[in-house]
Amino acid sequence: MRPEERAEVVQLPAGPRAADIALDELELVYAFIYARVGNRADAEDLTQQVAMKAIPRLRQGAPASAIRGYLFATARSVLGAFWSTRLGLSEAELREDLALAVPTSPPSEEGVDTVQKILAQLSDNYRRVLELRFLHGYSLKEVAAEMNSTVGAIKVMQLRALRAAAKVRVPE
Amino acid sequence: MNDKPENRVEKIVESLLRGRRLKLRGGDAEEKEAITAAARLAGVRQGPQRMRPEFRKRLAGKLVAAPDAGWITRRAALVAGLSLAAGAAGGGILSRAMEPHAGTAPVEPIEPLRAIWIDVGALGDLPEGQGKRVTAGGVGAFVFRRGGSVTAVSSVCSHLPCELSWQSADAYLLCSCHPAKFTSEGHALGSYSLPSLNPVHARVTAAGRVEVLGTE
Repeated sequence: MRPEERAEVVQLPAGPRAADIALDELELVYAFIYARVGNRADAEDLTQQVAMKAIPRLRQGAPASAIRGYLFATARSVLGAFWSTRLGLSEAELREDLALAVPTSPPSEEGVDTVQKILAQLSDNYRRVLELRFLHGYSLKEVAAEMNSTVGAIKVMQLRALRAAAKVRVPE
Repeated sequence: MNDKPENRVEKIVESLLRGRRLKLRGGDAEEKEAITAAARLAGVRQGPQRMRPEFRKRLAGKLVAAPDAGWITRRAALVAGLSLAAGAAGGGILSRAMEPHAGTAPVEPIEPLRAIWIDVGALGDLPEGQGKRVTAGGVGAFVFRRGGSVTAVSSVCSHLPCELSWQSADAYLLCSCHPAKFTSEGHALGSYSLPSLNPVHARVTAAGRVEVLGTE
């Protein structure tokens, strides 16, 4: 069991509000996870894991902020395990790559703001290729045409741009 | 050819941009930075994400079924389910309140774990057919006299968890949070097809006292 999972039992307000609070908090957790795995199917699986791990421990009487802290601690743990399994690496080897700090801004702004800050620190070509590919949904061929280059060259540039983006550290 | 890192990463990027699961294989770990960065970029591509209504509903169901989940009530799950569509649209409490709900699932009476009968007054003090708000420990209810017997329904709306009030002139229960109305039997009125209110057990004693099944 991870340290964050050994956290004290968090208590929920009693009655019908409990489920609403838990589900509303899980909505934030879903956005947090989605912004890190980039696809719905994995985000749903992981959010469900968080709920199943965390919810049975939640009982009566605590503020939503405490519930949120506990759910996000569990989400970080679940995300770490996800990437560790998929990449065959220990979580210690991945820690710096996963950007698992709990967001201070709402999910409506968190991911977009962070990515804009990351892109802003890249060279013009790297930023352009990632913007076209990820934010505008261009195919490699379309990016190549837009940037007067070849598909092969854009493919290499995309890899280098992603590596460079991963190295940018922005406060979350 | 496909083992070149740029090809492997492109395959993963393409998959992410098509909304597919991350499928990685041995050797991808060498590009862990690029792959996690690609996932993050793909994650913001379509803006902030909310749960699909079907998923949120399924999650609410799993919470109800989870071991030790006695804290979550069936009504709570219904409330959660009802808020799905509006929630997905980014609506707040008001839009949730206005969201119609298809279907009226049967509702169960409130059965507190450590239930006790609590005296809430004399039968003779209850006007015929008029709702009287009573509290039986942790259970809030509206009690209605029907001749020599009584019925009771929960005082909490079946949609948003807000207190209802009895409108004596029009003879219905009105939600304080949105325009939902219920009959004295707890059935929803109007265009919103909401679940009925939870019945509350109530009885009249031999001494003519009204008792409601509540908690300490």
